[in-house]
Amino acid sequence: MRHDLRWKGALILIAVLIFGLLLSPVGTKVFKGPPLRQGLDLQGGIELLLTPDYRLGANVITKLEDELSRKIRNANIDFQIAPFGTLDGDRYEGLRFSFATENDLQRARNLGIFTNNYQFKVFGETKKLDFEPEIKGNVIELKILENAANFPKDSLQRSLAIIRNRINEKSVGMSEADVRLDEGKNRIYVQLPGVRSLQEAKGLITATGRLTFRINNRIVLDGTHLQDVRVNFDQNKRSWVILFQFKGDGARQMAKITTENVNKQMAVYLDETMLMDPVIQDPIPDGSGIISLGGTPKEEVERYALLMKSGALPISLRVVQSTQVAPTLGKEIVKQSMIAGVIGVLLVIGFMLLFYGLPGILANVALILYVIFVLGIMALFRGVLTLPGIAGVILGVGMAVDANVIIFERIKDELRNGKRVRPAVQSGFGRALTAILDSNITTLIAAGVLIFFGTGPVQGFAVTLTIGILASMFTAVFVTRFLLEWRIDHDPDRYAKHFGVKEVAE
Amino acid sequence: MDIMKHKWWFIGIFLGAMLLCVIFLFVNPYNGWGQNPGSALNLGVDFTGGTKIYFPVDRPVTSDEVTAVLKTIDLPDFNYNPPQPNEYIDSNGDRQYQVLVYTRFLNDAEQEIVIDALEAKFGEAEQTQGLDITRVAPLIGKELLTNSLTAVLIAIALMLVYIWFRFELLSGIAAIAALIHDSLLVIGAFALFGLEVNVTMIAAILTVIGYSINDTIVVFDRIRENDRSKHRDVTFDEVANYSILQTFRRSLNTSFTTVLAILVMFLVVPNLREFLFALIVGMTAGTYSSIFVASPIWSILKDWLGKKKYA
Repeated sequence: MRHDLRWKGALILIAVLIFGLLLSPVGTKVFKGPPLRQGLDLQGGIELLLTPDYRLGANVITKLEDELSRKIRNANIDFQIAPFGTLDGDRYEGLRFSFATENDLQRARNLGIFTNNYQFKVFGETKKLDFEPEIKGNVIELKILENAANFPKDSLQRSLAIIRNRINEKSVGMSEADVRLDEGKNRIYVQLPGVRSLQEAKGLITATGRLTFRINNRIVLDGTHLQDVRVNFDQNKRSWVILFQFKGDGARQMAKITTENVNKQMAVYLDETMLMDPVIQDPIPDGSGIISLGGTPKEEVERYALLMKSGALPISLRVVQSTQVAPTLGKEIVKQSMIAGVIGVLLVIGFMLLFYGLPGILANVALILYVIFVLGIMALFRGVLTLPGIAGVILGVGMAVDANVIIFERIKDELRNGKRVRPAVQSGFGRALTAILDSNITTLIAAGVLIFFGTGPVQGFAVTLTIGILASMFTAVFVTRFLLEWRIDHDPDRYAKHFGVKEVAE
Repeated sequence: MDIMKHKWWFIGIFLGAMLLCVIFLFVNPYNGWGQNPGSALNLGVDFTGGTKIYFPVDRPVTSDEVTAVLKTIDLPDFNYNPPQPNEYIDSNGDRQYQVLVYTRFLNDAEQEIVIDALEAKFGEAEQTQGLDITRVAPLIGKELLTNSLTAVLIAIALMLVYIWFRFELLSGIAAIAALIHDSLLVIGAFALFGLEVNVTMIAAILTVIGYSINDTIVVFDRIRENDRSKHRDVTFDEVANYSILQTFRRSLNTSFTTVLAILVMFLVVPNLREFLFALIVGMTAGTYSSIFVASPIWSILKDWLGKKKYA
């Protein structure tokens, strides 16, 4: 055997062995799970896209309603006012002002209160509000959102960390959960495979609201640095208590606040709902404190603790996109796709045998290697197999054959032009290479754009397609060539016949 | 065989097919053959924003039965399309039933209300196949639509630049013309059958684009080679014709194996049918355009520009 063929053969063999092992039960042990990660659409689960919820809660909006009403009434304008928006927690889109006449409406507008960047003092905080008035006849629909400046700049990063922690804590074994932050768009993306209902998903990420601590209706601390909340039975007081622990900055602030405000009430709020207002009995120097709630029953105390814990996001989040997939359907599709894949590969193999004879066999070997390579690379890089992704792999089966067909047709041409077998294979490959490269690179461009712009299953598809194209190029240019040269080395003259070329000029 | 002799016929079919698809965009069963202007395509919730619920039921139900349940739901601006009962046979051979409900974008609380109402009437979804729900806020839908269109345009622009660089600008233009034909045919087929256009569809169109350009480039590769070595009095038509014939077998064989693989999937995996249908239409169109359209356009452009030079 030629020297270069020897190491090429060894290389291919090693690659096949490694990928084969990755896809076998050995791989399952290495990855601590199935070698091929399945997308949400195949294994079922929930995917959520969360953005900061800048809408106002019921408590704040009623205060704002009072303030704006007062200002307009002072100008002797008659009108009616009510919050509007679809039912979503206790949050509203804004306020609707109905005036008696358009003239009244104009006068109200001239008061200059419907400006952007409205400063609103409430609960000891000055909130910047963005107003977006829309005039419909005698009605002004004022959309109101809190300005992002009201929240700490790194709120989303911190929320991301908190959500990650919660998922890791509550779901042992759900290793494939994926939580990511899109900084440009201020969105958090959460993928929870295996979760079967929206309640369960929200229980994991519980974006119910912002936890604040208030003294005399002033916010003194928020729940960002709250590390732990637990329920315990206090033997001395013979009642259930809440143990909480702040860390870092939060602990330091807590120490300062509690030292300065002994014997004052410190209320705990979730958004604008007061959960409890315990009295500070002793300073809390190290961030760890106890809230005793008298004889409150255990269930109630646990509920408070849970609310404290789940509310500890620095910013409220709302769901803007969700995909919930039933697991049964996915399993069904995986099964069907396997059947389709096997039938498809067999049909293509049959066709190649029929049409190309012996070189067809080599192409078929390359085809099977292609399938092993694609799945192996997917496993190695922990790529996610999605529904359209499976179609991508099977599509690739068709395309993997293509490069081989181009090569064989070229070799035939060279043989017809009177070349001997070995040089014909050499130059045939050379000439086929430009076509294979150019055609596949243009396809790769399309796949690359999809990876960049695509979301979810589409992105998964593009990744599989890209891997498929690369694997098919590799198998055709490297594997088929190796096999062909190897066989020809054995018996060159017989091989010419297999290409269907009758006369080989000497 | 002289393919180029009939080039105007092939280009005529190419233009005719595209024209037909443009007509389907305005007149199709989905908009009642033009009765509802403004709804050119059946855009899915991915792009319009909204909620799409596959609710499993243990028996066949009628659309009216489900509408009756939805009518009892009291939510502001609650609107919905007529529910579509659906059934399929799973791999155990059992018949499964579900009903497809489209509503406006529901928030978490509203989704609970709708699901609770449906479960009160038809039984717990968890007991059967489980729920399948997609919700997209209108803002996100708009973004997905612009992103998808940008993706297609960027892909086309990048491919044009690559072909310009590796071949020549005219080849690029001819190849892009073929691509526009292929994508338009997919869109036209979706309009004609009123199929839902969603993000997966965009993936299908990009796949078709990638596949069809692949096919076209293989022919152009031969043209590039033959054009370089051609004798002076050989016309561009002859170069194109020779190149097409040289690659004809390869083009047909590859298209055949690819469509074969996809056809098997189409038959065996019902849930992927719309996606695969788009691929089959697009690839068939792609095979036609890359053999019979791209090269004639190249030859015509070359002749036309050549004449201009001497005139």
